[in-house]
Amino acid sequence: MSILGQTPATEIEAPISTFEGAATRHAQSYWNESWERLRDNRIGVAAGALILVLAAIALAAPLFTLFLTHYEPYGIDLLGTFQAPGHPHLLGTDELGRDTLTRLIYGGRVTLGVAFLTVGIALTVGTTVGLVAGYYGRWLDDILMRIVDMVLSIPAIFLFILMSILFRPNPITLAMIIASVGWGGVARLVRGEVLSVKQRDFIMATRSIGARDVRLIVRHLLPNVLPVLIVAASLGVGQIILIEAALDFLGLGIQPPTASWGNMLTNSESYFFHSIWLVIFPGLTIFVTVLASNVFGNAVRDAFDPRLK
Amino acid sequence: MLAKYLVRRFFASVIVVLGVTLITLLLMDRTRGTYVPGIDLNPNLRPDDIERLRANLGLDRPFYVWYLTWLWNVLHGDFGRSMIDGSPVTSHILDRLPNTLELTGTAILLGVLISIPLGVIGALRRGSKTDHTLTVVSVAGFAVPQFWLGLLLILLFSVTLEQHGLPWLPSSGATSPLGGGDVLDRLEHLVMPATVLSFFYLSLWSRFTRSSMLEVLSQDYIRTARAKGMGERRVVYLHGLRNALIPLITLVGLELPGLVSGGLVVEVVFGWPGIGRLLFERALQYDYSTVMGVTFFATLLVVAGNLLADVLYAILDPRIRYA
Repeated sequence: MSILGQTPATEIEAPISTFEGAATRHAQSYWNESWERLRDNRIGVAAGALILVLAAIALAAPLFTLFLTHYEPYGIDLLGTFQAPGHPHLLGTDELGRDTLTRLIYGGRVTLGVAFLTVGIALTVGTTVGLVAGYYGRWLDDILMRIVDMVLSIPAIFLFILMSILFRPNPITLAMIIASVGWGGVARLVRGEVLSVKQRDFIMATRSIGARDVRLIVRHLLPNVLPVLIVAASLGVGQIILIEAALDFLGLGIQPPTASWGNMLTNSESYFFHSIWLVIFPGLTIFVTVLASNVFGNAVRDAFDPRLK
Repeated sequence: MLAKYLVRRFFASVIVVLGVTLITLLLMDRTRGTYVPGIDLNPNLRPDDIERLRANLGLDRPFYVWYLTWLWNVLHGDFGRSMIDGSPVTSHILDRLPNTLELTGTAILLGVLISIPLGVIGALRRGSKTDHTLTVVSVAGFAVPQFWLGLLLILLFSVTLEQHGLPWLPSSGATSPLGGGDVLDRLEHLVMPATVLSFFYLSLWSRFTRSSMLEVLSQDYIRTARAKGMGERRVVYLHGLRNALIPLITLVGLELPGLVSGGLVVEVVFGWPGIGRLLFERALQYDYSTVMGVTFFATLLVVAGNLLADVLYAILDPRIRYA
């Protein structure tokens, strides 16, 4: 059981596939199979749909504020501070009279944008390093993996704090800061996969018919590590949102007046006595989003990870 | 074989630690050129005063001199003095360390003590209502922002209880400022931050124990144990749990460095005078020597923790080969 469990399902068919097309044809059926497994997971699909809806709301933020909330995210109203949720402010207003719902919608743009960008950067860098280290091996592998060890040995939160203070992040640099740690884990993961895929016969076959390194890596190794990448990405989004929210909360991430879910909570202790909604809603939004990401990530892992069978 | 493996792992670890110090100092070098820590305390300084201050603190030296001097001193046990208040970095760390260990140690201990039984229950009653409830709670534990959970607890147990004239929990610090410090007082302060922190570990480890237990219980030797008529209780605890805990040990070992850095956000929320908050505050003030000292210290623990987890794993699981 456990031996089978550790063996990627693809290996059973791999030895037959000496021709180039075979790897692709096999990959096709794997994708269909996984996709069907994912579709059958109702809770997972619901969670994924929720993420899509949140992303759509964030993207269409100006429309929502125009037709639903009728407020601007930076529209200060000093006569209407700390209004309770209700009419006309659905989720109340903050210390400057800004509409909480509007700010949550605009904050979603920043928070989700940073999260997806971080995943993108971490995956790109991590995959490249992992592929190169795993494929070429030897001293290159040693050097790259020691660098990964170093990056992953500094307590991540320390590194985030140092870099945030030194680089004064905007959304893009913030994503780069968080990704500067995230790529390490991806690189390790990909390298491990490459090491096992590299041993298989079809790689040697491909090489023996004269395929170059780049072609081997991009056309044959990459598709084989893709499942692991998809799983890592979908499981990573939630964690990254949590990290980003914490940094924003500490005042090290997205700077006011730009709204993000984390920085809306920065001074919320001071509202405990009169405006609880300012503490509840941003946190709840983060919680629900991360929850949905994690549930969806688990569903993707169950469907796509070839080692879980 | 084992000895050779350990020696190799040890030297790899040394290289990693050295690399980390270089990375950290390189990061700080970026702001070093224009900044004197503590300068904002006195805006009346003349330019030549600033020059003298920078020279005094050693900030005018080229990077490699800065780094090598620092490294040389650290190898001799000297972490330097804080650039803000001039007291030794070591004493800052030693001051804060007991508080941090109190918080994170309690959280990790609570996490282990509660998560293992929960994980076993979940595995034994797989698919039951209890199992589902435990799953939901641990999934929630992964998704809740620690700082928000902390804020909610403060809102509930400090603010609301106090407003209703009920006994309430202190929301900040490790002891009461006046006449505090006895065991009861410390416990009162510890309850909320430790709860927040252990909730995360709890979610992580109970899930892990559950799946590890499920896997072990499906093994052949469990069937053999049952087949030879061994009592269910002994099968589960003697053969099942013991083997299921091996991977958990690695996982807990990997969290050990969290003893120092893992509580940072919680420390900030609850005003806990620990190492994490020390780093946070000193980094904001560009206190390079303190930041370097704390980061170096924490990194040492991470690397040592990884090494320890590997070694423990190698000893506990004879199937591991030292490649």
